[in-house]
Amino acid sequence: MAVYRLLPGLLVLCLGAILARAIELTAGFNHLLVAIALGFVLANGLGIPSRLEPGLATHKLWLGAGIVLMGASLTLNTILEAGAVVLFVVVLVTGLTIALVELLSRNVFGLADRLGSLLAAGAGICGVSAVVAVAGAIRAREGQIAYAAATVLLFDAATIVVYPIVGDLLGLSDVVFGIWAGVSMFSTGPVVAVGFARSELAGQWATMTKLARNALIGVVVLGYASYYARTGEGARPSVRTLWDEFPKFVLGFLALVVLASAGVFSPAQRASIENAYSWLFVLAFVGLGTEIRLAGLRNTGLLPVIVVLLSLLVGSTLSLLLLALLF
Amino acid sequence: MSIDRWQQAVTALRSYWTALERDWQSVAVGVATVALTTVFGVQIPW
Repeated sequence: MAVYRLLPGLLVLCLGAILARAIELTAGFNHLLVAIALGFVLANGLGIPSRLEPGLATHKLWLGAGIVLMGASLTLNTILEAGAVVLFVVVLVTGLTIALVELLSRNVFGLADRLGSLLAAGAGICGVSAVVAVAGAIRAREGQIAYAAATVLLFDAATIVVYPIVGDLLGLSDVVFGIWAGVSMFSTGPVVAVGFARSELAGQWATMTKLARNALIGVVVLGYASYYARTGEGARPSVRTLWDEFPKFVLGFLALVVLASAGVFSPAQRASIENAYSWLFVLAFVGLGTEIRLAGLRNTGLLPVIVVLLSLLVGSTLSLLLLALLF
Repeated sequence: MSIDRWQQAVTALRSYWTALERDWQSVAVGVATVALTTVFGVQIPW
C-alpha cells in the first residue's frame, strides 16, 4: 500500500494521541481512556471519511510495537516469580470458557456449531483475531464470522467500562486486577487499556497475562481444525498452524525482557523506551476507539450475547476467586 | 549516492516492509525505537 494513503489516518491518530495527553495534563483524565473516547466520538459522531481508514487501521501495528517495547521495562525475575501460577490460571480459565461457550451454544441455546465455536474462540482466547483465525480453520460462513466478531466487540466495549469499576469496588490490588483483566477480558487492546489506565504495574501484568493467553491461539485453531476435519468440513490441520497463528511480537517482547534482565539498558534509555511505548499505546487506543461502532454492535443477536455473557460471568468470577486464593 | 540508487533503496525497503507480517512489523518498529534510544541516544519525552 502506498505510504501517502496511510498519512491522513496516521495524522489523525497522532493528533488524537497528543490531544488525549493534553487532556490528561490539564483535566486529569486518564490519557488511554480519553484516547479511546476520542476515537469513539470520531467514528460514531463525526463519521470517518474513507481516506482516513487505511491509516487508522494501523492501530494494531502500534499496539504490537508498544507491547514489544514494554519488554524493556520488565525482567525475567518478575515474570518467573508468578509465571507458573498465571499460566495455570490462564490455561484453566481459557479451557473452561471455551468448553462453557460450546456447551451453552450447542446444547442449551441451539446455535449453529460453527457460530458456537467462533464465539468460544473469541471469548476464550483473543477476541476478533481468534474469531478470524478459527473461522479459516473451520470454514465458517461470512455471516457467522460477522456475528461472532460483533458479539466480541460488544463485550470489548462493555468491559472497558465495567472492569475498572468492579476492580475499584472490590479494592483489588494492581497485580490481581491486571491478571484478572488479562485472563478474562477478550481482545488485547482493551486489556492493555484498562490495565495501564489503572496503573503501570496493573498494565504490565494485564499485558503479560494476555500474551500468555494469546500464545494458546495456535493450539486452539489446531484443535478446532482437527475436530471439523473429522467431519470432512474443515481445513486440513497441520502442526505448522501452531507457528502460523503464534503472535510473533511476543518474541520481540521476550527478547527485550532478556536484554533488560541482562542490564543492557541504562536508566535513561529505559525511561525513553517507556515513554515510546506510552505514545504507541495512546496512538493504538485512538484507533481502537474508532473500531467501536454503535451501528455494528446493534447487529449482534440476543442468543450469542447471552451465551458469551454467561461464560464471561463464570470465567471472570472463577478467575477472581482463584487469584484471591493464590495472591 | 545518486537519486536512482536512493529510489531503488526506498523501493526495496518498501516492498520488504509490505511483505512482512503485521506482527513482524511491530517487532521492526520496536527494534527501530530501541536503536534510536540506545545507538543514537534519542530522548523520547512524555
